[in-house]
Amino acid sequence: MIGQPIPRLEDERLITGQGQYTDDIKIEAQVHAYFVRSEHAHARIIAIDTFEASASPGVLAVLTGDDYLAQGYQGIQHVPNPADAVDSSKPSFSIQKNPHYFVNLHLPLASGAVRHVGEAVVMVIADTVVHAKNAAELVRIDYETLTAVVKADDALENTAAQLWEKVPHNLCHQETFGDDALVDQALARADVVIERRFVNSRIVNAQMEPRAAIGLYDPDKKCWTLISGSQGVNKQKQCLLDALKLKDEQIRVICPDVGGGFGPRTMLYPEQLAVVWGAMVVKRAVKWRGERSEGFVSDYQGRDQIITSKMGFDRQGKIVAVKNHWIANLGAHAVSFVPPSNGMRIMTTVYDIPLASVLVQLVYTNTVPTGPYRGAGRPESHHVMERMLDIAADELKLDRLHIREVNLIQHHQLPYRSPMGLSYDSGSFASNMRQAVEMAHWADFPERQKVSLASGKLRGIGLANYVEAPVGAPIERIRLTVNRDGQLEFITGTQSQGQGHETTFRQVLSHFLGFPLGDILFQSGDTDFVTKGGGTHSDRSLRIVSSLIKTASEALIAQGKAIFASLNQVPVEDVAWSAFHFSSPQPSTPMGLGEMAKLVHSSAFDAQTIKGELGPNTPWLQVTSDFKGRIPAHPTGCAVCELEIDPSTGEVDLLNYTSLDDVGQVINPLIVDGQLHGGLAQGIGQALSEGYYFDAQSAQVLSGSFMDYGMPRAGSIPPLRIAFTEDPTKLNPLRVKGGGESGITPATACIFNALAHAMSSNAREEIPMPATASVLWHYLQALKEPHVQR
Amino acid sequence: MIETHLTLNGRKITTLVPDSTLLVELLREHQHLTGTHVGCDTTQCGACTVHVDGKIMKSCTVLAAQVVGSDITTIEGLSPEGQLHPVQEAFRECHALQCGFCTPGMIMTISHFLKDKPKVLSDEVINRALEGHICRCTGYVNIIKAFKVAALKMYPDLLISNGA
Repeated sequence: MIGQPIPRLEDERLITGQGQYTDDIKIEAQVHAYFVRSEHAHARIIAIDTFEASASPGVLAVLTGDDYLAQGYQGIQHVPNPADAVDSSKPSFSIQKNPHYFVNLHLPLASGAVRHVGEAVVMVIADTVVHAKNAAELVRIDYETLTAVVKADDALENTAAQLWEKVPHNLCHQETFGDDALVDQALARADVVIERRFVNSRIVNAQMEPRAAIGLYDPDKKCWTLISGSQGVNKQKQCLLDALKLKDEQIRVICPDVGGGFGPRTMLYPEQLAVVWGAMVVKRAVKWRGERSEGFVSDYQGRDQIITSKMGFDRQGKIVAVKNHWIANLGAHAVSFVPPSNGMRIMTTVYDIPLASVLVQLVYTNTVPTGPYRGAGRPESHHVMERMLDIAADELKLDRLHIREVNLIQHHQLPYRSPMGLSYDSGSFASNMRQAVEMAHWADFPERQKVSLASGKLRGIGLANYVEAPVGAPIERIRLTVNRDGQLEFITGTQSQGQGHETTFRQVLSHFLGFPLGDILFQSGDTDFVTKGGGTHSDRSLRIVSSLIKTASEALIAQGKAIFASLNQVPVEDVAWSAFHFSSPQPSTPMGLGEMAKLVHSSAFDAQTIKGELGPNTPWLQVTSDFKGRIPAHPTGCAVCELEIDPSTGEVDLLNYTSLDDVGQVINPLIVDGQLHGGLAQGIGQALSEGYYFDAQSAQVLSGSFMDYGMPRAGSIPPLRIAFTEDPTKLNPLRVKGGGESGITPATACIFNALAHAMSSNAREEIPMPATASVLWHYLQALKEPHVQR
Repeated sequence: MIETHLTLNGRKITTLVPDSTLLVELLREHQHLTGTHVGCDTTQCGACTVHVDGKIMKSCTVLAAQVVGSDITTIEGLSPEGQLHPVQEAFRECHALQCGFCTPGMIMTISHFLKDKPKVLSDEVINRALEGHICRCTGYVNIIKAFKVAALKMYPDLLISNGA
């Protein structure tokens, strides 16, 4: 089962139109919510007049943030500060030491002021969507507009607009990691110091399913239910409990099929809270389906980090120290600090750098809140590291492969502890790079470049090594039950948004317990039976769940042995489990788990037959396994990109892309390939086309639809050369490292290295991201101007 | 209100809907055929693609009133109950879907494209055929592969340039 390219079991319903996404669910007597959103980036709300809207046909309620607060509820406590990557018992940032730390609870509807374009202000609930929309047009909101700020570095300026009264300079928190003084000393002694500023652009999540949510209220039981696509029901439930001040049994969260996650759907959204509250107000099921244009100004966004890096080298190209300054744009509300937290930990990537430090600043701006987006901080860090190496190679007149070779962590150094505290247990970094370079025909590049030049094209090749440090929620639970029909019921606290858990997890279960795939019942995404679990993000699901499946399977087999011993009246030590059957040396009929369950759960069976610890009252053949902490793993690899730029238009033609990846043991190669392709497409999108732009004066969003925002299309991915390798990890039983972020982590780094190589522009300012044709054309014109040496 | 007569997935239906009803609303809200998805409302993503009188149409931008009397096929009616269309088969075999949200629209466009044997099939032709569709999960690699695999299932002697 392990390693088999089994077509996904979830596909049949999805290819025949039988999938069930939130908007496909219709609740009897449901009514519809529509949100009036702020058209201003920053404004005080003077007054909201809902009189006319309330009288509009079909309207049940017109609700504001003040109405919500008046009922005694509070905003969402996102818990933006994640568990530390190394010691998961403590938070990543030491906010408790910061007397000025301030995070506002995120209200479902803005109260007092609006702080980004698209922030929900009023919720209209009506019998039909059309009636709700018509009424929404009648809501009058009197705003006093305020100056706004959208860039994180601008927001730190003295003159910048201030979003929150308690947060001077919009600085939510700042903290230095690593030994800054030692780093400064090393930089002062370095032969060469390179400094460069990188603006990692803002990304729209753009999952294909527009967000949707249904809130239900049962007045008799005083219970609420949220039906909504997400990346994990338990976190959503906790946030709802806190906001609505309810008891655990009063909230149920159900997640049906999810049309893409990519990170931002981990956290609760204001609209999800609003419909649950709205259901209580109107005593009906309240449904909301977001439109794409709403998504562009309200789905939590990705990246938007400004990183200035200072790196010291000796003459041979060995890095002596690195000092980064990382400014994270939080947006208008603190939803998640995951990107800078991840990025800070992984900043030295695959290189043996003795000293590193980073100042992280978390900054509020008048933009949509940001959160983790595929890779979450790791692509940003790799971009900086790999660009700095190319820049340094040019400056030191060293070969780009050579400067990497002298800095790569060698295999004999493993386990290697990075200056930021991560421990790499495995990874053949040097041989991965050699293999990737060979696959990409790196050595023959100059000949290909000549051919391109002859036709007026600028050709470049770039490379990026990468390593990940998957983190995520440090908690998980699964439950295995062999039911009376002899089937294996499996409940998991993780949750798929397209990653194929229904297939991969069944493969793992079948591997350990021998059940045919069709006899395994898969359940996830409902807090009624998923009592604990972290959801899916950060390459965590398969690694943690496969470890739990092994533990639970062993416990299940131990139970089975005890039952078999009682049934056959043989000593339990004599019972063997092989070829997925119990047997004993004494005369007995070998029996599988399914047969055993059918027998012991049949009505004719005398429970007293089972002796020993298990006893007649324990649920037989059922095991719950919990996990708390970290199972470190470090997916790693190397990517190479070759491209041509047409200098007359600035257009980029990606010629080919090589990816050599160590994702650990591959459970289902079809799925791992698919993850690589998808991540790579998102990396290519960020590098070359996905620009989210603002008007500099008004802070209005200029890229609010698929017409303005450059999503990758069919043909965006160049011909691929993909290979997998493995330096096995011993830290989890199936040697799983993770494949969800392998495509995206090195992507912008190697593409930008190739762009700079094509234009010989390493000594000049960074190419703006995304490097669209227009950006590159202007950049090429500027290159013609004389360059002033810094 | 407008009385809409249609042939929907081979079945004659008559339904009374408000004048402003979009075809996709008629399908999803009135006929409970939720396999046709709304991904953008503005005719850019292709998730709502259906067949109307043998043509492909984005049902989020067509009024129900415009297609009165038409023969409409949705993803639910593409293949007979219990069977898969070769494009559906190819999507599963090639892992051409992840979250599955854009998938019905993709399959409707590809099945329409392959209704008649194409003269040539190359990556360029495929990319052009998929121009009106957006996918966020797959990077399109396996969708393009499934396109070719489906074409060969339907036309075993078809020549495909740049490999299958």
